[in-house]
Amino acid sequence: MEWAPILITLKLATITTLILLVLGTPLAWWLSQSQHRFKVIIESVVALPLVLPPTVLGFYLLIALSPQGFIGEFWSLFSDSTLTFSFSGLVIGSVIYSMPFVVQPLQASFETVGRPLQQAAWSLGANRLDTFRHIVLPLSSRGFLVAITLGFAHTVGEFGVVLMIGGNIPEVTQVLSIVIYDHVEVLEYQQAHAYAAGLLVFSFVVLLTTYSLNKKFRVRL
Amino acid sequence: MQMLEIFYQAHFNQFQLQVDCRIPAQGITVLFGESGSGKSTLLNLLAGLNNAHESAQHKMHIEQARFSLNNIVYDDSEQKIKLKPWQRRIAYVFQDNRLFPHMTVLQNIRFGYKRRNSSLDQQALIEQFKIGELLQHYPQQLSGGQKQRVSMVRALLSSPDLLIMDEPLAALDYNSRQQLLPYIESIHQQLTIPVLYVSHDIKEVLRLADYIVLMQQGKSIAQGELAELCVSQPLLTRAEGPSFILQGHVSALLNEEGLLQMHCEGYELLIAAQPDKQPGAQPLNNGESLRILLYARDVSLCLLPADNSSILNTVPVRIDEIKQQDKGKQLLLCSLGQQRLLATISQRSVNNLQLEVGKQLYAQFKATAMIK
Repeated sequence: MEWAPILITLKLATITTLILLVLGTPLAWWLSQSQHRFKVIIESVVALPLVLPPTVLGFYLLIALSPQGFIGEFWSLFSDSTLTFSFSGLVIGSVIYSMPFVVQPLQASFETVGRPLQQAAWSLGANRLDTFRHIVLPLSSRGFLVAITLGFAHTVGEFGVVLMIGGNIPEVTQVLSIVIYDHVEVLEYQQAHAYAAGLLVFSFVVLLTTYSLNKKFRVRL
Repeated sequence: MQMLEIFYQAHFNQFQLQVDCRIPAQGITVLFGESGSGKSTLLNLLAGLNNAHESAQHKMHIEQARFSLNNIVYDDSEQKIKLKPWQRRIAYVFQDNRLFPHMTVLQNIRFGYKRRNSSLDQQALIEQFKIGELLQHYPQQLSGGQKQRVSMVRALLSSPDLLIMDEPLAALDYNSRQQLLPYIESIHQQLTIPVLYVSHDIKEVLRLADYIVLMQQGKSIAQGELAELCVSQPLLTRAEGPSFILQGHVSALLNEEGLLQMHCEGYELLIAAQPDKQPGAQPLNNGESLRILLYARDVSLCLLPADNSSILNTVPVRIDEIKQQDKGKQLLLCSLGQQRLLATISQRSVNNLQLEVGKQLYAQFKATAMIK
């Protein structure tokens, strides 16, 4: 059994989750507080990866990330390498693909905290940031736990998007799910079993932990 | 005397808010009115909590606003001043207490204390509200009355310039309410912070109010001291008609007879000691100050003091004004010493007794009265 795909998968999931926390927290906060008429549009866009076939998402990402695409062109201003078939490209793809799994639990937990407690904090002299830091964050800790586990687990289980934009370059973009696919294609069931069973157990444990911690912040499909 | 100046003109949907009042920056001012009269909306405007994030259709449109206290301008639509809620030194005691569930009682009460660099004596307030035993508890471990006490300490410790209380007793049962009232009274005896208290319970008004602002359908329709306002605004006790208040102090407790004696304007009045026999009502003490509410329809007038009457109270009064009321009834505004007494008398009696302004005579009323 090779370790490179496992390490690449874990690295991808970790980086993706961290980026999603940084981007997803303000986005989820805005969604939870706003009554803006564009809110439903943003909510729908965030939830798109839940229903789109990964190949569709991957296809458009491939176009956008290519040196002629709008993300790829922007990227080429800073870097000589291309985004497609690179680890950086995989990170961008994963961030978009796993977005709803981080944003939705966060949004739900922020909504649960609600405005009344914030108003109480304001009236005691805490500004918005102070209130977020000392009231909303501590009361949303379970929401964050759910967001982190789901975001991480979902990135680990990614396949279609990776295949479309990352190819299958060993030790660069070859993640677990693709290794399993490769083994099955050449009928190496033994090797496929090792990886697949590991992923199955991993995913089950993650979900079991998450759901038993709190039923409130389940992802709304 | 420092005054709170409040002027708002605003609307959302069909609701119009029109408030114009100046209230003393000390003591308890009760904002009184039926539900839907705009009391809570006004409080939220004062605290700066009105729907900043609401969608357009629910948004409050403020046409004109001016709100200042102690020379600090909080809102002024002309100068484009609108302080953020955390910039206003206005503490809020909510009906639903809103204690922070992830903090202990101590952490809760220190939340505003730290942020406002308060110099108030934390220990004194903890003792005054008897929450010393609860400091390490979490809010969900407390009873409703305890939560509201903690909530009051939390608000007071932030050393506000104004304390807003939005029906703080409404969510509690009768006993807890009775137990909490003395604490609210003590705020005003021990601290100089003005309190704006929302209520639609006439008993709370009677007990707490120094000053009243009456609200009806989004408008502030009258304001003044309780005793004055009772006379001019039958709205306070709408169903029972005009009412008035007599103030004095307890001069004797006649427990065997179920009566207490009240010293008022040099006369001794007899009042039923516990008109409502609810459990948990606090017994009154000798010397304690007392307010009673009486209805004008319960007062009769006679030219000579009647000795052989079942009516216990007879006091000399002077007629100041006679007002025509509907269906052959007259409302007589009389003075008892410095205080105001009202009597509703039939037109026939006014004629028979030849009642006119300036006439001295006697007012009689039974011992039944609503005690503070």
